[in-house]
Parts: sequence; structure tokens; C-alpha cells
Amino acid sequence: MSASRSLRLSGHALLLIASAPILLFLLLPSLIIVPMALSKSQMIQFPPEWISLHSFVDYLGDPQWVDSTLLSFQVTIVAVLIGAVAGGTAAIALHGRSFAGKGLLVGLIMMPIVIPVVIMALGDYLLFAQLRLLGSWVPIAVAHGVLATPYVFISAQAGLTSELNPALVRSARSLGARPTSVLYHVYWPAIRPGLLAGSMLGFAVSFDEVVLALFLQGANAVTLPVRTFSAIQYELTPKIAASASLFIALALVALGLQALAARKTGRLS
Amino acid sequence: MNSAVQPGTLSASSRKAGREVEVRGLWKSYGEGEYVVRDVNFALRPGEFLTLLGPSGSGKTTTLMMVAGFENPTRGEILVDGHDIALRPPEQRNFGVVFQGYALFPQKNVLENVEFGLRMRGVPPADRRRRALDMLDRVGLADFTTRKPRELSGGQQQRVALARALVFEPDALLLDEPLGALDRKLRESLQNEIKELQKRFGISILFVTHDQDEAMMMSDRIAVMAEGRIVQIGPPSDVYLHPATPFVAGFLGETNLVPGTYQGMDDGYAVVDFKDAARGRVRLPADGRSLTAGEAVVVSVRPERIRLLTDHAETTFAGLVADCTFMGRHTRYRIQALGQALTVSVTEWSPTSALCAGAPVWLGWQAEDAQILSGPEGALPMPQEIVR
Repeated sequence: MSASRSLRLSGHALLLIASAPILLFLLLPSLIIVPMALSKSQMIQFPPEWISLHSFVDYLGDPQWVDSTLLSFQVTIVAVLIGAVAGGTAAIALHGRSFAGKGLLVGLIMMPIVIPVVIMALGDYLLFAQLRLLGSWVPIAVAHGVLATPYVFISAQAGLTSELNPALVRSARSLGARPTSVLYHVYWPAIRPGLLAGSMLGFAVSFDEVVLALFLQGANAVTLPVRTFSAIQYELTPKIAASASLFIALALVALGLQALAARKTGRLS
Repeated sequence: MNSAVQPGTLSASSRKAGREVEVRGLWKSYGEGEYVVRDVNFALRPGEFLTLLGPSGSGKTTTLMMVAGFENPTRGEILVDGHDIALRPPEQRNFGVVFQGYALFPQKNVLENVEFGLRMRGVPPADRRRRALDMLDRVGLADFTTRKPRELSGGQQQRVALARALVFEPDALLLDEPLGALDRKLRESLQNEIKELQKRFGISILFVTHDQDEAMMMSDRIAVMAEGRIVQIGPPSDVYLHPATPFVAGFLGETNLVPGTYQGMDDGYAVVDFKDAARGRVRLPADGRSLTAGEAVVVSVRPERIRLLTDHAETTFAGLVADCTFMGRHTRYRIQALGQALTVSVTEWSPTSALCAGAPVWLGWQAEDAQILSGPEGALPMPQEIVR
């Protein structure tokens, strides 16, 4: 059917023509920051005066910025771990079960995506103030963990639904597998790709999250996005562009890993 | 396909593996007093192939799942060699379960799948590897140990599932409609393979199916289930030739059910008048039933047992051909007679084969070819949709 084939081809061409400008419009503002980071100027400006690495050198030479970067990684990793454990176990617990109030429970898990972050931030602020935990990075990590949980949950749940045949659980048990063995031999292989993909999403969400981190910050608990945000307000240094480039690079890495995990899932099924 | 048959191991067929599994007074309810399994009793003897046969919703799968441990009985005992295991979780029972679709571990290769049961039982790696390889050799899969399940054909997957269920020497195999989703031809060859393996290993099998042909072909005994009860249990020929109820007669093969009234005994035969006496009177074996004169009964005659004649004889009934269908091996007639439509199947080519719609015929049968069944069945409705 060469006629329909060429029709499809021209359809693809049309789609490309229509979507390319939109994609460009969406991407350019983010990508423009990279050449700005390579500017010689002492101020952040556009168009940049090429080409120098001094903004990166400044960024890496400023202990405050380096501390914030390391702190951000620390917060994000702990948040992703919290999200992976909470989201993953929730997905396993709810898989294949139906009971009264399940919808409500799922809604509760999904809530952090739906409710405005400012409200969550205020609630967290009041809670952690009461607990006298403010000022350290722990509240930020916990709050980000809550934020990352629904992303991991959705992804893990989708993975389980597509990968896990319920008869496998019974089959394993009939062969003598105790619950922990079932978890390891049946659930774990099925949930792993979804868990990885969800964790990547959670990483992306937590690493550049600014509202919660702003509310819960302390003298020694300023994450990189918060540092960047304040810098934009007060000094407009090219370090902003350098750190922003780091965000973009990390996002690309996370996206790539997630795509890899998704491809692996597709190949398995 | 039958590379699994190895002359050297055939002697094993005389050995009976497995223990006696007995189910006593088993009930299952999901609440609200509605029982899906009601007072089910049977004993699976060592080396026996017992099939739970019934339509969907008859409780056969629930019964099997209770034996396997995936459902808790509401009441009743499940005994293995006399020990009640009804409260043990599935992993602490010792049954090899084969599921529909086989449920092989997709990420594990064939050898790892077969080893799994031994691994869970704490058998040391070298030992379990040897036993799994030995088992794979016996089912003819020695060359496929490193394949993943998705790289195997349906038949090979079944052999892996059976090897995995057999390798840890279970008390019995429990098979839950393993062939339910397959096409006819593959199903027949896999039925043969299961039967073959069962003979070779001498293992007892509890098999669940809704397919009467499958049950007839494979079983030593069939337990016919309806509405949560076992309606009849016995060897296939018994259940087919001497059905206990109209339901069994209709579910196992095809039959014509004609209502009538029991009149009494005559010369060792039961005498039944069809509805109004004008329609006729038959003599048939009483099958050891104790009946009282005047009791409503049902007479069952298989379509292939009815003779068609073009002229009247003394023991025949008049009928009118409604339609005929040539089926290849036989011709099916729908005949209006005895106040209802009867199905008749004729194999031989005779003048009657040429009959078709509107032709008057006479039909009759040997006394021994009809069964008398107890009358209206109380809770059990006659499965009209199954009487094809």
C-alpha cells in the first residue's frame, strides 16, 4: 500500500512542521541559559559575551554554592529513597486488592501532586517548627520525600500492572515461597523498572523544588534552587547560569535513565 | 513432541507416588450465607487422576484453591494421609500446582524455574541443580535449561510447569484448567502429555476443567459439580452411562430428557409412562433406584442410541422430522416426538439418512439404552443451555 504509506509519511511531515516550533518555544528559554553560563561578563546578561568558563570556576570556588549543591544532592537522594520505599511498598500493598476505601487511599497518596505546594509548605513549616526540627536539612528531605512518593507510586503501580501476573504470586507460594521470598522473587523483578523510572521522576521533582525548600530552609540548609532563587533577587551573578546548566544536565541524565528503564520494561513484556 | 517417552523410565508407572488427599465436608462462603462450595467430599487416591468437572460457578476452582491453600474453607477438613492441613498456608503444604497460562517466572530461565521449589525448601545448590536437571531430562527439556519461558512453545512451557511442580516430590499435583486458553489441537496433544507424565511418575492428580471431553479422556474418576456440590462421582463410563441426575446426563455428552411417570416394576424393568399415556410407555433398567409408583421421573436417551425407522413397529413412537444437519461423521436430526423436540444422531448411511424436514418417522431404542433419572431436582435446575 504505497499510497497510504506516502499519506502517512506526509502526515508525519505535517506533524513535524506543526510541533517543531512549539517544541523550540518550550525548550529555548531553558537552553538559553547554557550560552549565558559561558559568558565573559561579570553580570548575567543576554546576549552573552563569549566565551569563558569563569562562571563555572566562580561557582565551584564559592563554598556557599558548593555546600548548597552537595546539600541538594543529599536532600534529593534521601527524598527519593523515602519516595521509593513509600511509593513502592504502597504499590505492592494495593496491587490486585480491592477493598472499601481503596480509591480514597490512592487519592491520599496522590495528594502531594494535587494540592498547592505553598499550602503543603506552610503546613510542613508549622509542623516542623512545632517539632523544633527547623534549620536542618532533614525536614526538607522528608517534605520532598512526600512530594516524590506519588510519582514513584504511579510508576511502580503501572509497572506491576503490566509486569506482574497475579498467578505468579500463587505459583511461588505453592512452590514453598514465604512472603519475603515472594517479595524478592516475584514482586521485585516486576517492580524494579517502574521503581527506577519513578525514582528518576522523583529525583527531577525534588532536585529543583524551590517552594518547600524556601519555607523549610535554615542557615545551614539552603538548597541549590533556593540559593539560585535568592541570587536572582540580589546579585544576578553568572553562577546562576552555571548552576542552571547543572540542573539541565541532571534533568537530561534523569530523563535518559528513565527512558532506558522504560525501554527495558518494554523489552521484558 | 513425545521425546518425553523414554522406555527406561516406564517401569516407574507401577510405582505410586503421592499420598491420599481427602476432603471432608468442605464448605465455602464469602459471607451473607451464600455458599459457593457446599459439603464437598472426596478422596484422591495415590496415583489417581481425579477431575472436578462442572460449569463455571460450580465451585470446582474454589474447591481446588482450598486444597492448594489459597482460599480458607468456611468449614471442613482437608486431610493428607490423615493429617488436617486446612489451616496451613500454601507454602507449608506440599502440592505441585499448575495454573492456567502456567505462571512460569518470566525473569528466570528454565533451570531456575524448576529449581525454585527445591531452593525454597533449602536444598543445597549442587543438589537441587542435579535434581532439576534430572527432572528436565525426564520431561525431554534437557537442551532448554538456559532458555527463558517466553522463548519456549506452549507445549514446552507446560512441561516446565509440570517439571517445576514435580521436582520436589509433592503429595499430589493440582491442575487448574491448565489448557483452558488453548486451541483444540494443541490442547489434545497437551492432554496426552499430561496423561503420559502422570502414568510415568505415578503421581496423583486433582484436575479442574469445564470441558467434558477433556474430563472423559483423562480421568480415572470424574466428580461432576453443580452449584457448589458434587452431584456424582465415579469412573467416566459410569458417569456417562449411568448419570445420577438430569444435570449430569446433560452435562456429560448430549442427551434427550423426556419427563414421565413411574408405574412400577415389570420383569426386572422399570415401566414409565410418558406424560399422558397416549404418548407411550417404555421399559428400562431401574439402575437400582427405589421408586414409588406414580413418582415423576425423567428418562434420558442419548441421541446416538435412538433408532430411526420409516415404518411403524410395536415399540416405536411416531415423530416428524423438524430439520436435519449433515455433520460429516454423522447426521443430526431434530425430531418432534413425545411432545417435545428430540435430538437423534445417525451414523450409518441408510434410507433414513435421506429423510428431511416434514417426513414422518418412527423412533425407538433398546431398553438398556435409556436411563431413568429421579424426578424434578429440587435446587438443581436442568442445564438447558448445556443440553446441546
